[in-house]
Amino acid sequence: MLITDSSGRIVLANTPAEALFGYTRAELLALSVESLIPPRFRATHVTRRQDYTAHPGSRVMGSGVELYGLRKDGGEFAADVSLSPLEGGYVLATVHDITRRKRAEEALAEQSARLAAIVETAVDAIITIDERGTIDSFNPAAERLFGYGRDEVLGRNVSQLMPSPYREAHDGYLEHYLATGEKRIIGLGREVVAQRKDGSTFPIELAVSEMRVGSRRLFTGLVHDISLRKQTEERQARLIHELESANEELKNFAYVVSHDLKAPLRAIGSLADWISTDQSEKLDAEGKEHLRLLIQRTRRMDSLIDGILQYSRVGRVREAVVAVDVNEIVQEALAMLAPPPQIRVEVAPDLPTVRAERTRILQVFQNLLSNAIKYLDKPEGLIRVGCVDHDQEWEFSVSDNGQGIETRHFKRIFQLFQTLAPKDRVESTGVGLSLVKKIVEMYGGRVWIESQPGAGSTFFFTLPRSGTTQQEQRN
Amino acid sequence: MLVEDDEVDAMTVRRALKELHVGNPMVQAENGEEALSYLRQPGQVMPCIILLDLNMPVMGGIEFLQVAKHDAALKRIPVVVLTTSDEQQDKVASFDLGVAGYIRKPVDYKQFVEAVRAIDTYWTLSELSQ
Repeated sequence: MLITDSSGRIVLANTPAEALFGYTRAELLALSVESLIPPRFRATHVTRRQDYTAHPGSRVMGSGVELYGLRKDGGEFAADVSLSPLEGGYVLATVHDITRRKRAEEALAEQSARLAAIVETAVDAIITIDERGTIDSFNPAAERLFGYGRDEVLGRNVSQLMPSPYREAHDGYLEHYLATGEKRIIGLGREVVAQRKDGSTFPIELAVSEMRVGSRRLFTGLVHDISLRKQTEERQARLIHELESANEELKNFAYVVSHDLKAPLRAIGSLADWISTDQSEKLDAEGKEHLRLLIQRTRRMDSLIDGILQYSRVGRVREAVVAVDVNEIVQEALAMLAPPPQIRVEVAPDLPTVRAERTRILQVFQNLLSNAIKYLDKPEGLIRVGCVDHDQEWEFSVSDNGQGIETRHFKRIFQLFQTLAPKDRVESTGVGLSLVKKIVEMYGGRVWIESQPGAGSTFFFTLPRSGTTQQEQRN
Repeated sequence: MLVEDDEVDAMTVRRALKELHVGNPMVQAENGEEALSYLRQPGQVMPCIILLDLNMPVMGGIEFLQVAKHDAALKRIPVVVLTTSDEQQDKVASFDLGVAGYIRKPVDYKQFVEAVRAIDTYWTLSELSQ
C-alpha cells in the first residue's frame, strides 16, 4: 500500500510494499511512483496520473487495466492496482502481485486454445447444442460435412441437420430426455441419417455426450461420416448375393445339363446298336469295329455324366445327418466291390462312429477302396483301412501295395475328370477322388496322399470330431 | 400303353418288345394330357400296363399320376415309370402316387431290352385287377 501526493511522490509505504518492490521504506519515500513502473509505461502513467488528479474517483481492482510493477532489482511483475483519492490531493494505491493468477490464466488460455485446436482440426464433425437444441458450436469438419458455414447454423436448431421425420421428432426426443432421463442416443451412439445443406442425406455414426458447464447443460455430438463404410458393406452384400446365385445356378446347371444330355446319348447308343445288328451283312470288319467303339464311347460318356451328377449332388441334395458306424460302411463298400481273392483287405478293429450323411461316407470309402483294388498290380495285394484318433479329428487311411503315384501327380489326381492311366486300359471317369475331396471338405476335413511309386499309396482323410461323439463310438 | 415324347426312346421300347416277341398291341401318347384324353374316351379298352416317362412337355409323368391315381376308372392300371431321372424326389413322388415300378432307362440298348424283358416277365405272371 502506497500513498502518493499530487505530484506522484511516495509519501507513505507499508511493510508489504517494501517486500513487494524490494526497497526499504526510506528508499521508497525518496521515489516517485513512476520509479515503480517499467520505463516503457512511465510517460503514459504520468498523463494518466494527472488525469486522475483532475478527475479523482475510486478505481477498483481488476477493472481491466493491465499494469506491471518494477522491483528494485529490475524484475517486473503483473500488478493489479486500485486507487482511492484522499483529501489534499493524496492518493491511496493498493498494489497486488497477480503473477500467479496471470500464470494460471495464461495456462488456462493455452489449454483452451489447445482444446479449441483439437476441435477445429478434428476429422469428425463436432457440434454442441444446448438443452433447447440450439447449436452452440460447429467445427470446420462439421462445415465441410454438412455444407453449412458456421454463421448459418450457430443459434439455430440442430434439427435442421436431420431429414424428416427425425427433424420434426428431435425437439420431442430432447424434451423427453430432459423430462425422463431416458436415453436413446446420449451416451450410447448409433447409426442415423443426416442431411446436408443441399438436402442430400448420408449415413452417420453419432455419439452424443452430455456435459454441464456452470448451470448450462450442453450436449456434444460427434458425427462420423460412414457413407464409405456403408457403400462397402452394401457392395459386399451384393457380391455375396451374386456369388450365391451364381453358385446356385452352377449347381442346377450341372444337373440340368447332365440330365438333358442323357436322352440324346441314349438315342445315339441305341441307333448305333441297331445299325450294327440290322446292317451286319452290309458292314465290313472296319465298319463293325467303328460301331463297337462308338457304342463303347457312348457308355463312357454315360459314366461321365453319371459322375457329374454324383459330383453335383454332393451338397445340393442333403440327406439326414445320422450316426454312421464306419465299421459297417467299410464292410458294405467291400461287399459292393467284391475284391478278387488275391487281394487281402485288413480293416482295423473299432473304427469310430461319425455323424454325417451315410451315403457320402459310403461314397468316400467305396471310391478309395475301388481305386486301391483297380490299380493293384501285385500278385499278392494288401489293402489296409485304419484310423488314428486325434484330439480334434479322426484321421482315416486307406493304403495299398499297388503301383503308387509320383509326387508330381498328387494334386492332379484330386481334380475332376483327371486320370493318370489311358482310359482304354483302365475304365475310369476321373470323378472318384474329386468326389472324395468334395465330400471330405464339405465336412470340414482334409484329404491327401502319401505314395512311393512301385511300392504303394496311402490316402488319408480327416473328419472333425465335432459332430462325432465318444458315446456313439461305444454304442 | 407307352407315354413317351422321345421318338428314339419309343422306337427302343417297340423294338425291344418285338425282339422279345411280345404280341400285345401298344399305343403311344406323347405326353400326360394326350394319354388322359385317350384313356377317357367313352368305351375305351384299358391298357393292361402303362409305361410312363417323367420329363415330357405339356404334362409330365408326375402330373399325369396325380390325375390318373385319383380317377376311379384309371387308378388300378399298373404304371411303371421308365425315365432318365435318378433323383430321389422323383422316385419318392412316383411311389407315393402308387406306381408299380421305377426303372431308369439304360443307355445301353441291350440293357434296355433286359429291362423290358423284366417288365414283360413280371406282368405276364402277375394277376391284374380286371
